[in-house]
Amino acid sequence: MVRQTITLLTLFLLAANASPADDADFFEKKVRPLLVEKCQSCHGAEKQKGNLRVDSKAALLAGGDRGAAVVPGKPDESLIVRVLAHDGDVKMPPKNKLPAAEIAVFKEWVQRGAAWPDSKAVVAAPKVAAASREFTAEERSFWAFQPVRPQPVPATGSHPVDAFLLAKLKERNLSFAPPADKRTLIRRITFDLTGLPPTSAEVDAFVKDDSKDAYAKLVDRLLASSAYGEKWGRRWLDVARYADSNGMDENLAYVNAWRYRDWVIRAFNSDKPYDEFVRDQIAGDLVPGGSEAERAERLTATGFLVIGPKMLAEDDPMKMRMDIIDEQLDTVGQAFLGLTLGCARCHDHKFDPITAADYYGLAGMFYSTKTMVNYNVVATWNERPIGTPESIAKLAEYKKSLDKLKAEIAKVEKAAKADAEKRLIEEKKRAKEYAIAAIELYNRRGPLKLVEAEPAKRDGAIVAESEAFARGNVLKLTDGYGAGIGVIINAGPIPNFTEHDIDIKKAGTFQVAVRYAAADPRPIRILVNGKVVAGNACGERTGSWNPDTQKWHPEATVPLAAGRIVVRFERDGAIPHLDKIALVPLTADEIAKMPLSPESVAADRKLSPALLRQWLAAVAKRDGKAVEDVDALFRSSKEFDAEGPRKAEIEKLREALAAKEKDKPPVDEVMAVEDAKAENLKIHLRGNHLTLGAEAPRRLPRIMAGDAPLSLKSGSGRLELAQWMTRPDNPLTARVMVNRIWAGHFGTGLVRTPDNFGRLGERPTHPELLDWLAAEFVRSGWSVKAMHRLIVTSNAYKMSVGSNANDVENKFFSHFNRRRLDAEEIRDGMLAVAGKLERTPGGTMLKAKPRQYVTSTANVNYDVYSSPRRTVYLPIVRSAVYDVLQTLDFADPSVPNGQRTATTIPTQALFMLNSSLVDETTEAFAKSLLAMNASDDDRIHAAYHRAFGRTATESELVRVRSYLAKAEATVEAKRLKAWRGFCRVLFASNEFVFVE
Amino acid sequence: MLGRRELLKSSALGFGWLALADLLAQAAVNDPLAPKAPHFPAKAKRIIFLFMHGGPSQVDTFDYKPKLTEHDGKPLPFAKPRVVSGATGNLLKSPFSFKQHGQSGAWVSELFPNIAKCVDDLCFIKSMHGSNSRHGGALLELHTGSDTFVRPSMGSWITYGLGTENRDLPGYVSICPTLTHGGVNNYTSAFLPAIYQATPLGNAGTPSSKVGVPFVKGTTPPDQQRLELDLLAELDRERTAKDAAMDGRIQSFEMAFRMQAAAPMVQDLSKESKETHALYGIDDKATENFGRQCLMARRFAEAGVRFIQCTHSYKWDQHENLTKGHTANAKEVDKPIAGLLMDLKRRGLLKDTLVLWGGEFGRTPVAQGKDGRDHNPHGFTMFLAGGGAKAGHSHGATDDFGYYSVEDKVHIHDLHATMLHLLGLDHLKLTYRHAGRDFRLTDVHGEVVKGVLA
Repeated sequence: MVRQTITLLTLFLLAANASPADDADFFEKKVRPLLVEKCQSCHGAEKQKGNLRVDSKAALLAGGDRGAAVVPGKPDESLIVRVLAHDGDVKMPPKNKLPAAEIAVFKEWVQRGAAWPDSKAVVAAPKVAAASREFTAEERSFWAFQPVRPQPVPATGSHPVDAFLLAKLKERNLSFAPPADKRTLIRRITFDLTGLPPTSAEVDAFVKDDSKDAYAKLVDRLLASSAYGEKWGRRWLDVARYADSNGMDENLAYVNAWRYRDWVIRAFNSDKPYDEFVRDQIAGDLVPGGSEAERAERLTATGFLVIGPKMLAEDDPMKMRMDIIDEQLDTVGQAFLGLTLGCARCHDHKFDPITAADYYGLAGMFYSTKTMVNYNVVATWNERPIGTPESIAKLAEYKKSLDKLKAEIAKVEKAAKADAEKRLIEEKKRAKEYAIAAIELYNRRGPLKLVEAEPAKRDGAIVAESEAFARGNVLKLTDGYGAGIGVIINAGPIPNFTEHDIDIKKAGTFQVAVRYAAADPRPIRILVNGKVVAGNACGERTGSWNPDTQKWHPEATVPLAAGRIVVRFERDGAIPHLDKIALVPLTADEIAKMPLSPESVAADRKLSPALLRQWLAAVAKRDGKAVEDVDALFRSSKEFDAEGPRKAEIEKLREALAAKEKDKPPVDEVMAVEDAKAENLKIHLRGNHLTLGAEAPRRLPRIMAGDAPLSLKSGSGRLELAQWMTRPDNPLTARVMVNRIWAGHFGTGLVRTPDNFGRLGERPTHPELLDWLAAEFVRSGWSVKAMHRLIVTSNAYKMSVGSNANDVENKFFSHFNRRRLDAEEIRDGMLAVAGKLERTPGGTMLKAKPRQYVTSTANVNYDVYSSPRRTVYLPIVRSAVYDVLQTLDFADPSVPNGQRTATTIPTQALFMLNSSLVDETTEAFAKSLLAMNASDDDRIHAAYHRAFGRTATESELVRVRSYLAKAEATVEAKRLKAWRGFCRVLFASNEFVFVE
Repeated sequence: MLGRRELLKSSALGFGWLALADLLAQAAVNDPLAPKAPHFPAKAKRIIFLFMHGGPSQVDTFDYKPKLTEHDGKPLPFAKPRVVSGATGNLLKSPFSFKQHGQSGAWVSELFPNIAKCVDDLCFIKSMHGSNSRHGGALLELHTGSDTFVRPSMGSWITYGLGTENRDLPGYVSICPTLTHGGVNNYTSAFLPAIYQATPLGNAGTPSSKVGVPFVKGTTPPDQQRLELDLLAELDRERTAKDAAMDGRIQSFEMAFRMQAAAPMVQDLSKESKETHALYGIDDKATENFGRQCLMARRFAEAGVRFIQCTHSYKWDQHENLTKGHTANAKEVDKPIAGLLMDLKRRGLLKDTLVLWGGEFGRTPVAQGKDGRDHNPHGFTMFLAGGGAKAGHSHGATDDFGYYSVEDKVHIHDLHATMLHLLGLDHLKLTYRHAGRDFRLTDVHGEVVKGVLA
């Protein structure tokens, strides 16, 4: 500190004494060389990074995007000094900080007034607004931004898809691999369209059907089955980064996310035109018309914008808001347009012609959209009611009766107020008694104190182990958190509760004490014989969940008669780790010292509790001193009025109201957005909301939508965005979707980076086919099912798996790609083959309350995953994805993902060997085989039929027989295990987990 | 010739690439975890990260501030940060006494009597700073470099960069990781191939004596399982003998079979001597849980695991009861950590094992209530040991009261760059292309902190 003062003083003296000639000399000798050598290559005549030049004083004064670089005489306020000192987020030079001596030179120069001798009035470099950046010819001609231009179908094949593919193959002297056999084909297309294996009956029927349209009938049947939407809906949910919880920092339950998921599944099953599918997810709330139910559906679709992961505990609300918008934009860009829009948040996109102005033009639309209710720590996302006409009518009816009840209460309260005046006059006469009582209450305020450090030591005390409850639903733990003492902890079901039956031998007043440990406050309710004696008990943080911080805490004082009582603990959530409870009889002396409540004192002395509370509050405000203005304490209040002759009536009505309020008919809510105040954003320099640049009017990306501004009379602009995206001439929307459908059938897209059609993505291997399909898609009315039908009826789709040395990556589709089943297909497939799969559609399985934390120290409600329902309906908890899915390459539900990976890792093998899912499915499979009235050979054939749709070969029969002999399948005790092992081998085999 | 990254990328696109297996070195193609050469000679081969979840206070542990004691109860003489997580009052002196230790004369508070004996092996960074004042954001920033998006964790980047040395074990393990404040996102591979994600052993709610590799234990007796695996291999080979991918899958079952034996063996601490148990405090109830974690970490390190994280579960967040809370927390970790450092050293493992200690942020020198401190990402202390870090050294400083990092500031990005550097990896070159750009652990930031290199 002292040293700094001296330095500044020296500088000041220098400045005061220096002549202009000295200053000029100082600049020329010390400052200018540094500017030329270290700065001007980026901030000079050639380049003007950050729109800053440092080759004239005027330019420095005018500054760049971040404002003036120099404030003469004020080094601390001069950006140039801060930036050179690497003090802040901008550091110059970015890589090599200047030596301290050189930074001091700049500091001194600014301090001395920033003299620049030859300083003419140079005009600062004209600021090029980012929005008007000219695109290069290369950018303008990039394939993905060109209109879809379908070429005529080549004359090389009967099916248009084959014709385009064969044209390319021919150029390379290649051709299609031979067609796959019928068994292979039905397994392939059944998994591809429905995510399930064909049953053996379906396989046999198809193999036997020699009619010309056998395959077409098969495709129609599969597309019409509800399993189709479950499979393809799930593929879209990957792209929409769907989950049932927020993940990120605060993992709260999204209890309504499933409605969006079910909407997606319904949309695929009903072949909702893709343009509507896109529009509704971006702006369904803004589309007018239609029935109540249709409007509810469209609102549900906007859940797409809300289900993303968010940092909900961010202390800087503006940062949170911009981060959420960025997540939305990035997802919208990748999902619908195959563009990585997020890259333009901090600067113009480095590879694609998307400028920061484009980004903030779009971001403004989402800024003008209400996604969040607030940006508090922890923030709340938006949900909106939907409902059937009946449920909405029911709600209106309810509101009417609620209002009626409230009016009735108001009427009675008014009457009570009228006679309260008379009572006040009476009470005023007892002012002295109130004054004494209030002081006494104040002096005996404060927290309960433990009367006995070790309750068991007191005669007559009753101490019970918490785990010795008579009724309850919590977990008893004698190791870990309960090591050596035994505690109870949360087992999952909510509310957590325990009830102890306790016999009171002698009536008296007791202190209720509880021994517990908690690293976080988890206040519980304590009830005695059904009456709450402490509503906020055991809520302290002891420091850990472990026995080392277990301690007794006083929680309540209760008078008890002799006889059996029920002590109940309950909490709508996880409980603290409770060790023991105690009832300690109090001595008269202790009772006299116990904190008093206004209610009990008022009852004893026949005072008005309401007035006494008022008085106590006044005394407390004066730190225990008597109140002077006594009249002011005798005033009517709702509480006081209600103590009068109408007490019973008012209480009854209030109870009725409380009951009614709890009885609100459930109205379905969906995660959804709505328009907010329409505003433009300013460009955030380097993506930082603290450094703002020019305003970026809301508009569409210039490279595709052209230079004309977007005329927005009202609203956020989302509807206009959706309308532009679904125009038949939008160059990306149809291409991106047909590519996704193609990839779902062939394993790779025609563009092999389905979420990135930009410069860093792959180029289409068959641009003509892609355009032809995209045009066909639009022509068909954006029918997704028609696109499937078109693709799977080609000969290319029916080829066999193989390899070709001249097409190793199969870029030309010379053969079919073998495909590893995805996580859902493996799980659903095993359940289906075992005969255990349950096909109930829709609804939620997330057992959580709205916005409840779904992960804490352990996952909540893990048991839902043992359900035999289709995997698409299992809750997807971000940060705690079901381990079976995680192991089998499920897509990260926090980011849009159009292409799953297929890894081979030992954990997958361990899953096959040891998981309970495989244990259970193989056991059911084995039992059903053993229940057959058949020979072992027949059982083996049946198993092969169910798992692979074929009979076992002779050599397979020999091997399996030999295995069964070694596993001693004839020994009764080992029989099931041996057959279960055989079933496990089938599930684990390459033939099961791959489709040919 | 295709690079490893291109191969991994194309592996995401189906099986077309697998025919390449014949043309290229088998190991590199089939085994993305095979050991890989670093960019330049490495000082460290592996990392053990001892994570103190909740945020230990720098001014009560290693960052001695006599001025804080002197100005106890007075207002902070400069501005508090623009964004804070909660309201705070005036300066609060440390309730703990400090002493200098070792040849290096490092200041250590009375909270860590055992770590104090190891200071000549430690390299303190007292000028750490990050940008997020909430647990969730700060945890993600420390583990992944981003407090905004889901990004690969540092262990994933390192395993991606270097592979692993023991294929019977996972390359990256996290013992008792937290499920809160980002949970899995703190050890996820995000857009890197899933194989680089940490294998969690239990979670913060599991006692360390009960943790294990997922699915490593089952209900099938070993002899029965052997029969099943033999049948599986026979049937698979008969149908799909020629394809490398299929063959890789058959091999993965054998690897899993070996892992079933290897992983529990590494975790089995019963073979360690009584003296070793005592060294880590496993014989004491207070230190037993973290002691086991530390001893397991040493055994995993010995066995060739690349990145091992131990987590002292969410206990350090003393908004109140600082004196009691920090005393209890320090007691639980002090002996185990010192034991680990001494054990690594005497076994010659400390040379090439980089140990990192710290929390997601530090705490404010100003008080919350009477005996508490708020979150403080603006200045805090972490320490390194071994693996090419400068021993007996202290780098950087906070201001007189320990609030802001002011001298030789080290951002979390810089720490990441430095850790990669010690492993022989250039943080600018360790990239992965995803969603249209090349990503790095350090994003567009990070400088290697030369001052902490031995």
